[in-house]
Amino acid sequence: MNVELVNLRGAAREKWAAEMNSGRVRLNVTLDTSSIARGAEDTLAALRNGVAANKLAADVNITGSWGFCWMEPCVAVRSSAGTKTVLYANVTADRVEEFLDRVVVQGQDMPELALGIVEGNATAEIPLLADHPFMKGQVRRLMANLGFTDPENIDHYMANGGYEGFGKALEMDAEAIIKEMLDSGLGGRGGGGFPAGRKWDFLRSANADPRYLICNADEGDPGAWVNRVLMEGDPHLIVEGMLIAALGAKARAGYIYIRYEYPLAIDRMRKAIADAYAKGLLGENILGTGLDFDLYVFKGAGAYVCGEETGLINSIDSYRGMPRIKPPFPAQAGLWNKPTNVNNVESYANAPLIMRNGAAWWSGVSDEKEKGTKMFTFSGSVNWQGCIEIPFGPTVRTALDQYAGGMKGGKACKGFQPGGPLSGMLNGRELDLTLTLDPYRGKGMFLGSGGIVFFDDSACVIDMCKFFVAFCEDESCGRCTTCHGGSQRAVEVMRRIQAGGGREADIDNLEKLIQTLVWSNCLHGQFTMTTVKTSLKEFRDEWVEHIVDKRCRAGVCEGLIQYRVRSQTASGLEEAAAICPTGAVQQERGQWFIDDGLCIRCGACKEQSPDGLEVVPRLAATPTLAAATAAGG
Amino acid sequence: MSAEPSAQELRDLVAEFEPNKGHVMPALHKVQETYGYISRPAIEAIARQLNTTPALVYGAVSFYSDFRTHPPAQTEIAWCSGPACRLAGGDRIREAMQATLELPLGGESDDHRYGIHVGQCNGTCSEAPQVWLNGQVVGNLTVSKAIEMAREIRGGGE
Repeated sequence: MNVELVNLRGAAREKWAAEMNSGRVRLNVTLDTSSIARGAEDTLAALRNGVAANKLAADVNITGSWGFCWMEPCVAVRSSAGTKTVLYANVTADRVEEFLDRVVVQGQDMPELALGIVEGNATAEIPLLADHPFMKGQVRRLMANLGFTDPENIDHYMANGGYEGFGKALEMDAEAIIKEMLDSGLGGRGGGGFPAGRKWDFLRSANADPRYLICNADEGDPGAWVNRVLMEGDPHLIVEGMLIAALGAKARAGYIYIRYEYPLAIDRMRKAIADAYAKGLLGENILGTGLDFDLYVFKGAGAYVCGEETGLINSIDSYRGMPRIKPPFPAQAGLWNKPTNVNNVESYANAPLIMRNGAAWWSGVSDEKEKGTKMFTFSGSVNWQGCIEIPFGPTVRTALDQYAGGMKGGKACKGFQPGGPLSGMLNGRELDLTLTLDPYRGKGMFLGSGGIVFFDDSACVIDMCKFFVAFCEDESCGRCTTCHGGSQRAVEVMRRIQAGGGREADIDNLEKLIQTLVWSNCLHGQFTMTTVKTSLKEFRDEWVEHIVDKRCRAGVCEGLIQYRVRSQTASGLEEAAAICPTGAVQQERGQWFIDDGLCIRCGACKEQSPDGLEVVPRLAATPTLAAATAAGG
Repeated sequence: MSAEPSAQELRDLVAEFEPNKGHVMPALHKVQETYGYISRPAIEAIARQLNTTPALVYGAVSFYSDFRTHPPAQTEIAWCSGPACRLAGGDRIREAMQATLELPLGGESDDHRYGIHVGQCNGTCSEAPQVWLNGQVVGNLTVSKAIEMAREIRGGGE
């Protein structure tokens, strides 16, 4: 292997070993966007202050996410002898004083906050972390360093196998690298599943210079945060993956396009790139091998459609991120009309693992057609909103019951969205579908990039459809009338249905729009109506109910429901009147009532007086003003 | 908010950027990070520096939701529009906050003290329903809590 790289990795391992054998307690605080939202910065500061003030023999470090996003801040405590590591959750700043006293000063466990034993033996009170249902069946390869290494420390990465795959790739020619990638069977992780090796080969075969790599980190699907977890947790994995791709596809420069909503991921990727430059792993004549490769972070500015690869390219080299008309494909004419390869974060991040351990090892984890592992996040009406990495194969039901902790309040799963607003919507009856690509393709939808949203009977299907199509309408680039006009029309029709003005022809109207939008230029327009299309199949009764019976079974659609005083004697009615933002909760001659004309159906009153108020089907059969005026004649 | 920058200040600020190198967005980000928004003179300075037209630069400004052409309000509420927040009553929270503040989504008060706009999901879905108050997550809201927060923001400073 390249001597410079061997030296770099050797030095990194020495530093890592010195840290590991310091004889001091090691406190690894998960510091990412999810944990910061739950106070991890305060926890970190409190731990550092407490350790300094009491001169404790402990080192406080930051690390990436264990995936237990709903129980942050997480802190892993490694004993001074290095023989035992315990993962703790919900270590909020107010608990730090007691936490430090018990786990560091007294050297005991704190079972009430413990999630499990990471290293060492289970105790009577704390099981092994590996036995936690959330961890069982997970195969953490991409997430292997998360929880252990500092994402802002390149030596930590190098000491734990980092840049070894790149070192191996340096000894291979481009054809051999691509063959290894093809043998692995790695499919694009952005949702398409197209073999990454073939894409790299397209780029390598292009006859123009320079060639560019782009990493699509514009993870815009609401409810998906797998790429963020990876960038914030182990950014060098992506740098190394792109270096390997540069060798395989003979690329000169790369861009990592990150949405602006991920400032910490942007900072960590920038730091990783700067550190890689400083070690001679990026730039000209990398490690003396003659390889030239520059890598940049490109910060987005809020445009979902830039997740479409040609929209992303336009966003970098032009002004507006409007998807281009294909062909030419990016591999022929992409960034600045030069050959370009666009892959998802997770796709690039797998390359170091494939090179380090070989295609056979990498693909051996699953019997499914799709190879390797996939990261997923779970949100919506579930108990656990976390991030996992599993081999392809388990069912959605396993994901829900085991990894998302089941539905909140033990309710039934009414339905789910497998991966983003374009992916579609399925009934809870379909929970036995596997988390692989084919079952969804067969239904005219797709699995998506990994953010699964579950909902129960408190969700209205029509409201969800309106929300997702309105999102697509907002995010349409405006090129195709089918898309920007079609999505606008679909939203108008759905708003009218929600307002109580549904017409029998509306399902036909929506089906016409479904047919029309597929003629749009890019995936955005083509898949905007997927949610409506699939829900018309899966939840047809509910659509008909809204349109014909003017009834919303979930009690959501504002034109089909109203708030009513149920009990004049219930507690909280005064408070309900006080909280109402429109003065709709009124009292006349001692009798409470809701002025329906003022009521905006926000439900604050019912929070104050759950027994005093109720949501009932709207009594007046006349459509609301909104219904009468929406969407024209 | 700092005083209007001079044309020279703006030119100096964007002097590092070059034409045809993908520098439009980085230049816009730098201007917004410095001044909080992208003014008309800033658009002209960027166009001049990148050897292009103000129309094309403005085309980029208007395409992306993060770029603003006016200074932000003192207190900006970004309402999370994601599905997890919506399933937890986020849309009712939006209605209630807008009614309390008497603002449309994307609007701000006449005295520029407070405004409310759409924010996009960044995957802190365990905190749903949430808003960001000047960038800080305020999670696990109820409609009542959101109304009280909005009332405090509206009433504050009067």
